[in-house]
Amino acid sequence: MRSLRICMCEGGNEIMKLDIVIAGVGGQGNILASEVLAQCAMDKGYNVLSTETKGAAQRGGSVVSHLRISDSDIYAPLVPVGQADILLGFEPLEAMRNAKLLNSKGKFIINQEPVQTVLSNMGADVYPPLSELEAAVKAVCPHGYFVNATQAAKELGSTLLTNVIMLGAFSKVTDIFTPEVILAKLLSLVNEKFHEDDKAAFAAGQKLV
Amino acid sequence: MSTKEFVMGNEAIALAAKEAGVSVVAGYPGTPASEIIDASLSHGIYAEWSTNEKHAFEVATGASLCNQRAMAVMKHNGTNVVTDFLMHVNFTGVRGGLVLISADDPGGNSSQNEEDTRILIHNYAHLPVFDPSSIQEAKEMTKKAFELSEQTELVFALRPVMRICHARGIVEKEDVTYQKKPVEFKNDRSRFVMSAVVEKEHGGVLRPIIRHRWLNQKQNELKEIMENLPFNHIEKADGEVGYVGCGIGYSYLKEAESILDKKLPVLKLTTLPLPEKKVIEFVSNYKKIVIFEELEPVVENLIKGICYDKGIQVEILGRKTFLPAEGELSTGLILKAIESAEANKAMPKEAQSTYIPARVRTQCVGCSHRGLLYALKSVVRRTGAVVTGDIGCHDAGSFQPMNLQSTIYCMGSSIPMAYGIKAGGYEKPVIAMIGDSTFFHNGLTGLASAIFNKANITVIIADNSTTAMTGFQPHPGSETNVRGEQFQAIDPASVAAVMGAKTYICNPYNVEETKKLLAEVVKEEGVKVVIARALCYLKFSREGRVSFEARKVTVDHEVCNGCKICVSDFGCPAITIVDGKARIDQDSCNGCGVCVSVCARGAMK
Repeated sequence: MRSLRICMCEGGNEIMKLDIVIAGVGGQGNILASEVLAQCAMDKGYNVLSTETKGAAQRGGSVVSHLRISDSDIYAPLVPVGQADILLGFEPLEAMRNAKLLNSKGKFIINQEPVQTVLSNMGADVYPPLSELEAAVKAVCPHGYFVNATQAAKELGSTLLTNVIMLGAFSKVTDIFTPEVILAKLLSLVNEKFHEDDKAAFAAGQKLV
Repeated sequence: MSTKEFVMGNEAIALAAKEAGVSVVAGYPGTPASEIIDASLSHGIYAEWSTNEKHAFEVATGASLCNQRAMAVMKHNGTNVVTDFLMHVNFTGVRGGLVLISADDPGGNSSQNEEDTRILIHNYAHLPVFDPSSIQEAKEMTKKAFELSEQTELVFALRPVMRICHARGIVEKEDVTYQKKPVEFKNDRSRFVMSAVVEKEHGGVLRPIIRHRWLNQKQNELKEIMENLPFNHIEKADGEVGYVGCGIGYSYLKEAESILDKKLPVLKLTTLPLPEKKVIEFVSNYKKIVIFEELEPVVENLIKGICYDKGIQVEILGRKTFLPAEGELSTGLILKAIESAEANKAMPKEAQSTYIPARVRTQCVGCSHRGLLYALKSVVRRTGAVVTGDIGCHDAGSFQPMNLQSTIYCMGSSIPMAYGIKAGGYEKPVIAMIGDSTFFHNGLTGLASAIFNKANITVIIADNSTTAMTGFQPHPGSETNVRGEQFQAIDPASVAAVMGAKTYICNPYNVEETKKLLAEVVKEEGVKVVIARALCYLKFSREGRVSFEARKVTVDHEVCNGCKICVSDFGCPAITIVDGKARIDQDSCNGCGVCVSVCARGAMK
């Protein structure tokens, strides 16, 4: 499955450009996932530009990582609306919030497990039903997967493995990096005591898509 | 030798400081600039958190006066704090290269306001400003700024926006080639003593006028310098509309070009003062010019001024009339602007977007502020008290479900505003709430003012031993400084007591005790200071230190009647209502147990 956007430039050379958006909630390991992919891209000699947007630096807020990879110049750190090749939604509401960034020819992988907001918990806001969230994303881009990464993580013993499961799933929808390369880079960035769990989570993620 | 590295914009700035041979870096934490201090320290530079930004700038200037290169680091709100000093150091000039990093947050993503500090630094203080368009350029500009600061004896400023500071990209790492100058303090009182003194050798003109003249005369020298810097250039292309890209606006413009797959005529402007000749050369070719800058129409107004002076007739569009006057730029906005400008149309109105449930800021699970806010809420309900707020994690108490602080302005304003409300005649209690780092930043003088004026208020210092909101930086009340040196922490309670306030200490994890204390204290006369003291859970639990006895909290579903007080009134994110009953998410709960005293029915155990 190839989702790389290839455009032709003047000389007829192909330009590789992959814009990834990772949307989630603080504490979900979103930034680590972005770091892993950024470093994989660096190792391959690509140009990389990334940024994350978060409210004031506290847990529980929306966190969005923008990661832009290319073999040509990249200018702005933010992925423009309608340009993202891949949307990784670590949380369905956050995926919906950022769906407009997706290119209609792009691809999404969205974790279905909701994280309620302070206001929805209170009843001051209504957390939209999953069907509504899924329809909102599909209206922008029809290609992708809704998976329950949190459930898979729970089965492996910890919800903290959700981001690794999502990375495993990511490795199946693009061939920019091999799954082995992504996993090796992840393991190089985390404490050795988590390696066995992370390997299992990565493999579980690969099976979800 | 140069190597490539993937770094954050803030790290690139610190790297530049290292390569430029900087001796002293001082700052006060503030998103998006905070990481520069730690990164500078990691390069072996003397770095410090000062108690506020003004002091950071003064420290850096002290170092500059003994011939060393120095850097002051802050966010835009800090630059406001610095303004008084800025309006003197611009007149005196400096010795060792001195660079002010003034990080702006267009869009106010992590700030209580949005503002453009180019106005303060350039239009007001008449100092040069670099506005980087990329991380690599931020690094190059910082290095160049040190060199030019020494050459011109002026403070240079770098104004990186959020998308520079908090972006990660590839930068070139180079060797340090700068030879530090010997430390030397040479007196020159005619410069460094700013006072209304008559200058004999200038025919009796007052010193402020002489120094002002010096600064004004520097402007021509600066314009010449900007003309020749690589940071400004013209990109020629066919078209009737010329586009000006300033700072990050240039990057969005280039992005728009690549999406349109079309070369546009572009003038890249990233310095103030502007390179006038380049501006004239560019604008003279077009009937219409569109300027992209964050945030205020600074360059727009300056170009309009140049065109007026030179009699150039050209339509100039920017944030004054054409583009939205608030918020961040984006590639999408620039694409729309290009389309509209080429078609001679106004920008299309932003469609009202549909509301997607927001994630409002709240306290972390296990945060002591939640207990404090909850206790305070009960006192406020019973007494009709007004709570004035300040900057810090506790300020999320002004949102649902706490709805507590009635005001949030800037660092330290809670205390004077509180007694101003009393001075205005408000009869019920008034309570100021401030954090420990903020107390040292700008709360002390407000407290002195309150005591001095025989105010009748309660001040709560939410003391968690760190500057938590910006990433756990130490402050004078912490045990160690950023360099890891132990010192005698300054205790806010002792300080307040010595100043003459009645002081009380409570542990906010104990809601009942806190509630009782606050209820008593607000009834007393005078300035009362309550120190709600508990370690920041997020920071100190990693070191195995917490200010509560952790326990496993469960809900007895036989007792819980689904009243929802624990979510609607208290709002700990670890508690949700499932099938009409409270449920504790054991994955996120850390057993602080505050919710046990919140549940009136005793269902939390």
